[in-house]
Amino acid sequence: MSNTAAGDLHESGWYEIRLDGRLDPRWATRFDGMTLTYDDGTTVLEGLVADQTALHGVLQRLRDLGLPLVSVTRMPTDRFADDVTTTTNNGELS
Amino acid sequence: MASSLVETKLYVPRLRDGQVSRPRLRERLSRGSQSRLTLVSAPAGFGKTTLLTEWLAAAPAEERAVAWLSLDEGDSDSGLFWTYLITALQTAVPDVGASALPLLQSARPPIETVLTTVLNELRTLPYELYVVLDDYHLADGPAIQPGMAFLLDHLPPQVHLAISTRSDPALPLARLRARGDLVELRSLDLRFTPGEVAAYISEAGGFELAESDIETLEARTEGWIAALQLAALSLQGRDDAPGFIAGFAGDDRYIVDYLVEEVLSRQPDQVRTFLLRTSVLDRLSGPLCDAVTEESDGKRTLELLDRTNLFVVPLDDSRRWYRYHHLFADVLQTHLLDERRNELSGLHRRASEWYDQAGEPLPAVRHALSSGDVERAADLVELAIPALRRDRQEATIRGWIDDIPDEVVRRRPVLAIGFVGALMAGNEFDGIAQRLQDVERMLDASAGGADIVVVDPNELARVPGAIAMFRAALALVAGEPAETIRFADQAGRRAPSDDHLTKAAASALAGLARWAIGDLDAAHRGYSAAVDGLRRADHISDVLGCSITLADLRITQGRLSDAQRTYEDALRLASEEPDTLRGTADMYVGLSQIACERNDLAAAAEHLRHARDLGEQNGLPQNPYRTRLAMARPREAMGDLAGALDLLDEAQRVYLGDFSPNVRPIPALRARLLVATGALGEAVDWARQQGLSADDDLSYLRECEHITLARILLARHQAESSESALRDASGLLDRLATAAESGGRTGSLLEILVLQAFARRESDDEPGALAILERALTLAEPEGYVRVFVGEGPPMRSLLGGVARRHDDWAYVQRLLATDEPPDQSSPTRQGLVEPLSERELEVLRLLATDLNGPDIARELVVSLNTLRTHTKHIYAKLGVNSRRAAVRQAHELDLLTRTGDR
Repeated sequence: MSNTAAGDLHESGWYEIRLDGRLDPRWATRFDGMTLTYDDGTTVLEGLVADQTALHGVLQRLRDLGLPLVSVTRMPTDRFADDVTTTTNNGELS
Repeated sequence: MASSLVETKLYVPRLRDGQVSRPRLRERLSRGSQSRLTLVSAPAGFGKTTLLTEWLAAAPAEERAVAWLSLDEGDSDSGLFWTYLITALQTAVPDVGASALPLLQSARPPIETVLTTVLNELRTLPYELYVVLDDYHLADGPAIQPGMAFLLDHLPPQVHLAISTRSDPALPLARLRARGDLVELRSLDLRFTPGEVAAYISEAGGFELAESDIETLEARTEGWIAALQLAALSLQGRDDAPGFIAGFAGDDRYIVDYLVEEVLSRQPDQVRTFLLRTSVLDRLSGPLCDAVTEESDGKRTLELLDRTNLFVVPLDDSRRWYRYHHLFADVLQTHLLDERRNELSGLHRRASEWYDQAGEPLPAVRHALSSGDVERAADLVELAIPALRRDRQEATIRGWIDDIPDEVVRRRPVLAIGFVGALMAGNEFDGIAQRLQDVERMLDASAGGADIVVVDPNELARVPGAIAMFRAALALVAGEPAETIRFADQAGRRAPSDDHLTKAAASALAGLARWAIGDLDAAHRGYSAAVDGLRRADHISDVLGCSITLADLRITQGRLSDAQRTYEDALRLASEEPDTLRGTADMYVGLSQIACERNDLAAAAEHLRHARDLGEQNGLPQNPYRTRLAMARPREAMGDLAGALDLLDEAQRVYLGDFSPNVRPIPALRARLLVATGALGEAVDWARQQGLSADDDLSYLRECEHITLARILLARHQAESSESALRDASGLLDRLATAAESGGRTGSLLEILVLQAFARRESDDEPGALAILERALTLAEPEGYVRVFVGEGPPMRSLLGGVARRHDDWAYVQRLLATDEPPDQSSPTRQGLVEPLSERELEVLRLLATDLNGPDIARELVVSLNTLRTHTKHIYAKLGVNSRRAAVRQAHELDLLTRTGDR
C-alpha cells in the first residue's frame, strides 16, 4: 500500500469506515457523498473524504449517533475508480 | 448580558417526572464535592445531563450555588466561550468577573490575566459553587484548552467543575486522576442495570414487563437510556409487548433508527410532519415553529410533545423555548432529508426570516447559510455589522468571514470593509492591506459600470473614507506616524460629512501618531476633533475614552487645570445620559490622579471611592490597570511604598494596551519605586534589561524610561559615590530638559528640573541647584503642583529651604514646606519600636547625630526652635531616652540612621 493511514494532512483520500450494526442507507444523506452498505453485521461507510478535518467531521457525526466504531481504513489511491471489494484493517481504532 | 448571548444556555435544567432515581451514581457523584473535576463522559443519550441535574437538585439550594452552561456549536471560539462561562458564573455569584468581562469583550488579553481576576474573586466565596459545562465536546479544542487547564489548576477548594461530554476533553486527566482530584463516570457506569430498566419502564411507561422481557430489552439496548426511552414510548398502549420486544431484539438495525421509526409511525400525520420539519431548528418556540411549518398550532404541539415525553427538553421555566434531544433531532433530520429534501431550503429560509424579524441576526444568518442562500446570508451580515460593532461583538463578525464565500464578498464593498473592521479589532493585521486594495478595486469597477451589491446605500458612501481610515490604523500599528497622518487626512477628506465616526476615528489616529512623535498640541487638536465627531454620532461612551487621552496630553503639558476640566466636562456629558456610561469610572480615576498631584489626598481617595462604587463594569477595558496605578500614588504619598509596589505589580498583571502610545510604562514606574525603597540593584537590572543608557538618542516615547534612568544614576551616585554616575545623570538630564522644553512637555520638564537640581547640588553647585529649582517652582505654581516636589522627601525639603531663604515672601514655597511629611508606615517593624518615629522625626534624629547645634538644625529644617524642641521631646519619649547623646546611641543600635530616606 503506497499511501498509508498516516498520509498527507491536506490530501483527499478514500476511506472505509466500519461500524457495528446495521445503519439504514437513508443515513447516507448525512454523510455527503459517501455510501452505506451492509455486510454481515457490519455497516461499511465509504467514500472520498476531502481532508483530515472532513474525516474527523464524519467520525464526530458517528460519535454523536452513538454508533460503535470497528475500524477506519484509508484505501490505496489507485483504487479510487474501482469498486472496493476487499478491505484491509490497518489503523484500527477500537 | 451582552446582546448576542443566548440566555437559555445558562438555564439550569429542572428534574422531570418519570425519571429513575439513581442513588448508586449520586453517591459516586457526591465525591465531586471533594474533587476539582467531575467528568461524565459517555455517548449521546446516556442521561449525562439528567444525572448532573439530579445530583445538583439533591442538595438544598442554600448550601450550594450552581452555574450552568449548555454549550453549543461555535462555543469553541475562546472569546465567546469565556464570555459565556463568566456570564454563567454571574448567575450564581452576582458581580463576579465584572472587570473580566469588559476585558474579554474588547481586546484579547492573555486568558490567564482574565481568569486570575475571576479566580481571586471566587477565592472568598463563603459557599460551595458548582460549575457545570454541559456538552463540553462542542467547545473543546485548542482555543480554550490552555485556559481550562489553568482554571483547573487554580480552582479554589470550594469551587467544583463538572463536565459532561461525548469525547474525553483535552485536559490533564491522568494528573487529576493520580491526585484523586477527578471523579469519573463513563458509559459503563451510566448504562441502566436490569433493575433500573424495570423501574424506568414502570415509572415512565406506566406498565410492568416480565423479567425475561426486561432482560431482553436491557441486552438489546445495552442499557442505553435513549434507546430505552424510545422503547418505552413504542411499548405504550401495545397489547403485544413481548412480541414487540422479541421482534426488536431479533433485528440488528441501528437501534435508535428502529425505535424512532416505531414511535414516528404511531404519531398522527400532523405531529410526524411537525417533528420532521422543525428538526432543522436548534431551539423551538411556538411562533418560530409556526413560521417554519406554515401552520398555526406550534405552541400546542410543543406542549403535547412535552406532555408525552417526546424528546423535547424545556429551556426555561415558562415553557416558551424547547429543544429536541440531540439524538432524536439527528434521526428526525435524517428522515427529513430522506423524505422531504425538497422542503429543506424553504424551512431554513423561513427560520432565517423569523429570526431576522425577531431581531436575532446570528441564527438568522446561520439558517440563511443552511438554506444555501449565501447572498441572503451576506445581506443579513451586512446589516448586522454596525450594531455588532457598536456592541464590540467583532468576534461574531469574524466567525462569518469563513462562511461567506470570497466570490460573494468580492462584489460587496460594504461587507468587505465590515470584515476588515472585525479583523483589525481582533488584532489580525495579516492580509488587511490586500483586502483594502480589493475593496478599492470594487469601487473603481463599480464606477466603471460593474455590478456591486450593497444593501444600504448610505453605508456605501462611507466606504472610501473607511478604507483610508483603516490604512491609517495599519500604519499606526506598523509604527509609521507620517503615513498614519497622511491616510488619516485622506480619510477625513473622503468621509461624507455625516460620517462622524470615520472622521472621528481618523482624527484620533492622526492625534495618536502626533502624540507618539511628541507633538502634543497637534495631538490634542486631533483628539478634540475626534471627541466632537463622537458627540455628534452620539457615542458618548467613546467620548469618555478619548477624554482620558486628552487629559493625559494636558498633564504631560503641565496643564493640570485643563486636564481636570476635561474630566469634569466628560462627567457632565455622561450625567445627561439616562444610564451610567462605560467610562464614567475612568473619569473619577483620572480626577484622583490630579488631586493626588496637588496633594489633596482626601479628594483623591474620594474620587477613587466613587470610581470603585461605580464598579469596573462601568469602566473602560483599561480601567483595571489605570485604577491600580492611581491607587498606588496616594499609597506612595502616605509612605506605604510596599503597598504601592504591590499595586503596580497588580496593575502590570491586568495591563491592557490600546492604540495610545505607552508613554508611562508600568515597569519604569516600578523601577522608580524600587529606587525609593532602596532596592537599587533591582532597578539597575531593569535599566540594563531595557538596554537603557545615558547616551541614548532621546525620543518622547522613551522619556519616562530615561527620566527613571536618571533617578537610578543619581541614586547610584549617592550609594556608591560614583562620579561617573553623577556625570551621566547630569548629561542625560540636561538633554532631557532641552527635549521636553522644545516639545512643550512642561509636566515632564518639572520632574526633570527637580532631578537636575539634585544633580547640581550633588556637584556642589548649590546656587545652580537653587536657580533650577526656582524655575521649576515658577512653572509649577499656577497649576498647584505639590507632589512633584514634596514627594522627593527631605533632600527636596532642604533645597526648598534654600529657596525660601532667598525669597522669604514666596508663599507657594512656604506652603510646600508646610506640607506634612507622610507618616512612614513601612518602617515600624524595621524600627523595632512600639511607637515608630515619623519620617520627620527620623530626619531630626539624623541631624541630632551631626555636629550642628540646635539653632542650626532648626534652620536646616526651616522650623522654629520651639518646633524643633517639640520634635526632640517626642523622639526622646519614643526612644526611651532623655539626652541627645543617648538618643543618637539608641538610634545607632536600632539602625535607624542608615536608612537615608533619600531617593
